[in-house]
Amino acid sequence: MIRFENVKKVYEATGKNPEIVALHNVNLHIRKGEFVFVLGHSGAGKSTFLKLILREEAATEGRVIVNGRDLSAIKPREIPYLRRGLGVVFQDFRLIPTMTAYENVAFAMRVTNISERQIKRRVPYVLNLVGLADKAHALPQELSGGEQQRIALARALVHSPPIIIADEPTGNIDPELSVEIMELLQAINSVGTTVVVVTHERDLALRFNKRIITIDHGEVIDDSLRQARRMRV
Amino acid sequence: MRWSSFKYLVRQGWHSMVANRLMTLASVGVLSACLFITGVALLLSLNVNSFVSGLSEQNEVEFFLTDETTADAAAQLQTQIAAMDNVAECLYISKSQAVEEMKVYLGDDAGVLKDYEGEGNPANPLPASFRVTVKDLAYLSDTVSQIQTLLGASVSGVQSPTELGTTLVNLQRVVGAVGWGLVIVLGVISIVVINNTIRLTVFARRKEINIMKFVGATNGFIRLPFFVEGMTVGAIAGLVASVLVGGGYLGLLKALAQPEASWLSEFTRCMLPFKTVMLPMAGLFVLFGMAIGSTGCATSIRKHLKV
Repeated sequence: MIRFENVKKVYEATGKNPEIVALHNVNLHIRKGEFVFVLGHSGAGKSTFLKLILREEAATEGRVIVNGRDLSAIKPREIPYLRRGLGVVFQDFRLIPTMTAYENVAFAMRVTNISERQIKRRVPYVLNLVGLADKAHALPQELSGGEQQRIALARALVHSPPIIIADEPTGNIDPELSVEIMELLQAINSVGTTVVVVTHERDLALRFNKRIITIDHGEVIDDSLRQARRMRV
Repeated sequence: MRWSSFKYLVRQGWHSMVANRLMTLASVGVLSACLFITGVALLLSLNVNSFVSGLSEQNEVEFFLTDETTADAAAQLQTQIAAMDNVAECLYISKSQAVEEMKVYLGDDAGVLKDYEGEGNPANPLPASFRVTVKDLAYLSDTVSQIQTLLGASVSGVQSPTELGTTLVNLQRVVGAVGWGLVIVLGVISIVVINNTIRLTVFARRKEINIMKFVGATNGFIRLPFFVEGMTVGAIAGLVASVLVGGGYLGLLKALAQPEASWLSEFTRCMLPFKTVMLPMAGLFVLFGMAIGSTGCATSIRKHLKV
């Protein structure tokens, strides 16, 4: 699903800003159907890790392989097709403010050129899945933080991507609602979707018995799947 | 792309125009104002040009002939003058025709010319003449000199508006240069201003574009609604400017047609008719507006697509 092989990412010096080594010698493999937390404090390299998966940035060295595509060799015009295989949930929800909840979710299908009939069938189903069928015609600003995040999740899910990536999905919502979102992600994972949750909240990650990859100063310093196995032994 | 997707994107373009109505209004206002000023400059230039051309068409030079010039010699000279490059027309006015013209001019007092009437009347003091209309006022002096040389001793005098001709030609050149200069400068200003306005619109919606990129929208898919929006804004601005310029021009033509403005009849007569000038100008405005709007959108959005 997602493989990093000797990945290094360096941001070149610009003006007064010096060169930054954001990731260094990162090797990891996230398999199909896994639920993984990527843990790290601010500036650890989590955002760069995400940007490389989404091909917002290219690796300086090494290879990043997502859904079987080598992102070091991908052409710019192929990037939208890569992203259609990834459902992304952001901390700030990133809903289009002028579109209703329904339209925001439908938009992710429209970009993939899916017929209107399929959209009309699929979007209400996904909204129902996240428990917001009754808010289909509400604008994002009319919804609470938790509801907006569930709409964002519905948008990520709508075309059944094999991988869901959630960037600090609970960062802007209440603790009770955080659990709801995490439970939704677990439910998504239980049907075989790979889920990667990027977070700085150690407690949240530890609450679930899942693999935790810890990044610090651009390096993977811990991969708790091994720890969990050892503990089981 | 599916037809339903295309229709959706076109609707999105129009929808976002309404959703971002303030920016839309600003864009339409700025572009309309620029097109309006361009239109006024263009109309002014075209009309002054028409006026000067109208005057030059009436321009005549009269070469008076000595009484010794026979009718046969005059007929020969007339053919030679009419064949000259810059001569549009050459009329021969005989001595008796000159008396008839004078009688028309004198009106009720025409009786004083009674003794001078009739072909070959030796008492007639009025000279025969060639009335020559030139094609291009710019070469008036040269043409007059050429004809004088040709006529030689047969010419007794010349009545030529050489100075007026030179003044008109200079005026036409200045007005033409200033008018077209204004049109070009304002056209460039329109492009710059509308580009900046669109840039602001696109900048205000950069997050939206960013979201579109992350859900896997292709650049073409993102561009199309902006393109539609830019074209529609341009077309509306073109129509608004056409209505304003057209309305103003029609009002001016009506005002100049009033009896109180009869002293301006020389100018009014040469003004371009409303339909002749306004229909092509309206089409030009709409096309120009659409071109500026759509290219402005296409170029402004490029930066935000690099995600």
